[in-house]
Amino acid sequence: MIRGKSKECIAMLLAGGQGSRLKVLTEATAKPAVPFGGKYRIIDFPLSNCVNSGIDTVGIMTQYQPLELNDYIGTGSPWGLDRNFGGVHILPPYSQSGKSEWYKGTANAIYQNINFVDRYEPEYVLVLSGDHIYKMDYEKMLRYHKEKGAQCTIAVLDVPLEEASRFGIMNTRDDDSIYEFEEKPKQPKSTKASMGVYLFDWELLKKYLIDDEANPDSANDFGKNIIPKLLADGKKLFAYQFDGYWKDVGTIASLWEANMDLLDPNVPIELKDKNYKIYARNYAEPPTLITKTADINNSFVAEGCTVKGSVKNSVISTGCKIAEDAIVISSVLMPDVEIKSGAVVKYAIIGQESVIGMNARVGEIPPEGDGANKEICVIGKKSVIASNEIVTQ
Amino acid sequence: MKMTGIIFSNVYDTSLGDLTMKRTVASLPFGGRYRLVDFVLSNMVNSHISSIGLITKYNYQSLMDHLGSGAEWDLSRKNASFYILPPFASGVTNVYRGNLEALSNAVQFLQSNKPDYVVMCDTTVICNINYKKALASHVASGAAVTVIASRDLRAYESVDSDLVLTKDENGKATDLAIGQDLGADSLIGMGMYIVERKFLLSVINNYVARGRYSFEKDFLLSRFADDSIDINVYEFKGPVLRNHSILSYFKNNFRIMDEEIRKDIFSSKSPIYTKVRDEAPTYYADTSNVNDSVIADGCVIKGKLENTVVFRDVTIEEGAKIKNAIIMQGTVVGRGAKIENAILDKNVTISDGATLIGGSSSPVIVHKGDTI
Repeated sequence: MIRGKSKECIAMLLAGGQGSRLKVLTEATAKPAVPFGGKYRIIDFPLSNCVNSGIDTVGIMTQYQPLELNDYIGTGSPWGLDRNFGGVHILPPYSQSGKSEWYKGTANAIYQNINFVDRYEPEYVLVLSGDHIYKMDYEKMLRYHKEKGAQCTIAVLDVPLEEASRFGIMNTRDDDSIYEFEEKPKQPKSTKASMGVYLFDWELLKKYLIDDEANPDSANDFGKNIIPKLLADGKKLFAYQFDGYWKDVGTIASLWEANMDLLDPNVPIELKDKNYKIYARNYAEPPTLITKTADINNSFVAEGCTVKGSVKNSVISTGCKIAEDAIVISSVLMPDVEIKSGAVVKYAIIGQESVIGMNARVGEIPPEGDGANKEICVIGKKSVIASNEIVTQ
Repeated sequence: MKMTGIIFSNVYDTSLGDLTMKRTVASLPFGGRYRLVDFVLSNMVNSHISSIGLITKYNYQSLMDHLGSGAEWDLSRKNASFYILPPFASGVTNVYRGNLEALSNAVQFLQSNKPDYVVMCDTTVICNINYKKALASHVASGAAVTVIASRDLRAYESVDSDLVLTKDENGKATDLAIGQDLGADSLIGMGMYIVERKFLLSVINNYVARGRYSFEKDFLLSRFADDSIDINVYEFKGPVLRNHSILSYFKNNFRIMDEEIRKDIFSSKSPIYTKVRDEAPTYYADTSNVNDSVIADGCVIKGKLENTVVFRDVTIEEGAKIKNAIIMQGTVVGRGAKIENAILDKNVTISDGATLIGGSSSPVIVHKGDTI
């Protein structure tokens, strides 16, 4: 028996997806461990949200390429999640007597961890995913859930009508109760898009997970199975409106855009906020050195870098080296990238520890148009681009 | 062979004047994100020393806040012991007259520790040194004491307390003096010594009781003079930054921009650890213009910087022009302000349009929390 008091609410973070739309960036890295914003990983956002919302128990369900993610999470101390009772737990699929299987779907991942959840005897379980950039106080959502007497609350974001068909849309009544859920509807009836943040009464969710598992035809997915079943059974589902910045960084274009959003003063995602810090694992890097040949405009540069070249509208992560006469424009350099002298990097994402050789050219100015059409050049982790080589894709 | 580490946090407090009015030398900010103690502590940790005692006397609140449990240095472990050693209430009550007297704080700590050897260090000298190599030299020499010393005379400014030595080809000290002019073969002590633990305890016992308080003057020099001990000199060959005065501290902050020094002192194989503050990366605006500067995380840079060291969470507003300055954590420099040859301590506010110009060998110092 585990001793300690029970927890009112714990979080279960789905971090098992492959994230194949991030192409080479997730070849050897789980999507939640992909670097973001100069010194963070994507998972730092939901984890910091938990900590800032007073949730101190988080189960992280991993499955695809978990090594780097496991290393990164460690004991959870960077987030203050190394707790005597609770804290952060990595939950890979494991074999059980009689059967052993991978996580078949989002609902199945939590089904397989019912015992983990049960030992904290929570009243509520928050289900999160590891591929969104946003700052959200889940405590307010929990308060709303209680006020409404909801059994399940789904966080929603108002999206432009023309984009609504790309999301899971919640159709609600005047009191924000949900009567219908439509995945990527062709003719959206509402603009309330699901953010992939679900809050459940645990006893109810547990029952539905067990029933869902017993149904051989189910895809064991929250969006496809659990939510529609709850609605069909007339359970009380409510939409919780979120007004802040939220971005799914599941594609190269959206990952690049979210990084660029950090540089835009009109976009409400502020990393420098004393009252709402985003925590990350810190490495012992010296402060950044900027020489007189450097020229930096509208950019973020993390610690441990040496900048001698020109940087514009870019996010430069920890430990990067940019040589004299190198030019980086509208790009994202992940940690420990080296850009050699004379190289030009434009509209690109350069994976960790890659080297761009002398006078090489990476990426090009994309055609004008909306975000979806931007062709961002991606270089995978630990790649070497030879001197004078030209890479546009 | 194992070592215990002893760090002196206060011994040089008086020579750094205003900067150490409300803090120990050990907690003096350095190099954009560090405190002086980080360097010696990281060196010890990187040399696999896991029992460390830090001797303090007064003003040690900021130091305790910085060090916490020692977790950032990986010292908060079952098999590590990291202690801050404040003075006992009785006994000597004034400023330490010397490091030997300060060691009387550490007698119990030294008695309860098992390692055979002790490495003792000040926090004023910055370098990236592996004490294991120094210990091997000490043990091989059979000497009673090993003095760690260097010939690095770049930016060297002599001070009266400098230990000046010469050695023979076996490393044995052939001459030893304090505050003496340098000869062609001279090495200068780095305030770092290795001794056998039991021997050190007997020295503390014998000398402090007789009112002798300086390890160098009363013990090393007098015993060397009457030829009653052998002294081994371990020559450290990397870059050494000595912070024995406000001016040398001021200049050394800029020396970490020298790429050779930066590469050595911040070696990725033996990193310098410090307290984590979870700051965002630094933002450089379109209006920024940065030349030859070192900048930590969490800053917003909109103005012009030249030859400047910027600590965490600093804001430099548009049109501000800063040259040859050290700007500590949390400071804000207003629009159009002009600053040259200055040390702005923590949480200073420089108003819009203010001008603050010091001399290149007498930087102006703005105290913690002040508004100009």
